Amino acid sequence: MSVSKISGVKISGIASAVPEQIRTIFDDMKVFGEDEVYKISANIGVKSRYIAPPHLCTSDLCFFAAERLLHEASWKKDSVDALIFVSQTPDYRLPATSCILQKRLGLSNECASFDISMGCSGYIYGLWVASSLIVGGNIDRVLLLVGDTSNKLLSPQDRSVALLFGDAGTATLLEKSAHAQPMTFVMGTDGDGANNLIVPSGGFRKIANESTKIRTERENNNIRSDEDLFMNGAEIFSFTLERLSPLIRSVLDESSWTVDDVDFFIFHQANKFILNFLTKKMKLSPHKVPIVLEKFGNTSSASIPLALSSSLHEELCNKELRLIFSGFGVGYSWGAVALNVGPIIMPDIVFVP
Amino acid sequence: MNKQEFIVLLEGVVEAEPGTITGNETIESIPGWDSLAIVSFIAMIDESLGITLSPKKIADAKSVDDLVALIGDNII
Repeated sequence: MSVSKISGVKISGIASAVPEQIRTIFDDMKVFGEDEVYKISANIGVKSRYIAPPHLCTSDLCFFAAERLLHEASWKKDSVDALIFVSQTPDYRLPATSCILQKRLGLSNECASFDISMGCSGYIYGLWVASSLIVGGNIDRVLLLVGDTSNKLLSPQDRSVALLFGDAGTATLLEKSAHAQPMTFVMGTDGDGANNLIVPSGGFRKIANESTKIRTERENNNIRSDEDLFMNGAEIFSFTLERLSPLIRSVLDESSWTVDDVDFFIFHQANKFILNFLTKKMKLSPHKVPIVLEKFGNTSSASIPLALSSSLHEELCNKELRLIFSGFGVGYSWGAVALNVGPIIMPDIVFVP
Repeated sequence: MNKQEFIVLLEGVVEAEPGTITGNETIESIPGWDSLAIVSFIAMIDESLGITLSPKKIADAKSVDDLVALIGDNII
């Protein structure tokens, strides 16, 4: 696995935004029936999620999170040296959504802007690239925007995905800070799992056409097209089971921390069954592993910062915490970081109409 | 783990009444054997035997005996 230690960078603020529009399991029952929905909900731990209506894109959610955060942190717009947008639900195939956000946020023309296409591991990648830029590129401030509107990618008649995902966008401020504690990153990839979480058509390998749009009945009576998200849940679970414990062990070893040194483990909010099982397997104390799926669902790349906004707001506004973040999934791609965070600027979650 | 313990574990996974799985039936005929059950099954085997079964091999299994064969020497 790829290991790197980065010193002299701190997180100064985190904000999260979700659509106002909520969908509960009672809405889901109209599609899949009561018994089926209760059974799935008990397993994956989702009771409601916020879903972006057609007019709201990931970039809109990130925009509102960023506006609020830049304002509350009193960052001048022209002090942002780089903007990074991490998402698998961009506005367009081109140009990069980061360019659109640079203009919309009123950032300077001197600001470097680019997109990174990552999902479950995306927040870790974003932090890693942002902090590397600050150290290696000798710049001061990075605005990291991370989020997804996964519900736009899936068939509402496919029970393997339709009850799981929520939409969210987040903003994180990173800046140079001479006294900041080191961040330790561990990253890895296994593209052998690419087909287990995929939207097969719509890129350039399998170009969208009339037939790729047609939804047909697939395994377990699920209905979707080749332009919809496919997930093989059992394969993803098996991958997580094999990879996550070694990843966490590795990031602890590399940072010379023990489990007891860590205040909270913030895992990608994949599903409740997986998180509970891994918590038990790794012998972590459940109160150190926040789970916010019940209210938000799996929000892909946004799930780690959203879990922070939702469950550690009080702590992060007032004191320094030792945290481990870990993202894992689509790719397969995984990453973890051990870092100190706080006190930081953390606005309340923004609800976007 | 012996075969009887394995069957009890399997009954737990599909929430079947104790004694309803005999071990000779096809997997298709077991009510509740769906993708969530497969995930629970992988979890329970991981927990009790420390091995991670391949979902593909589980999907290929036709009978309870095929499932038993997947855990190999771990069954006595």
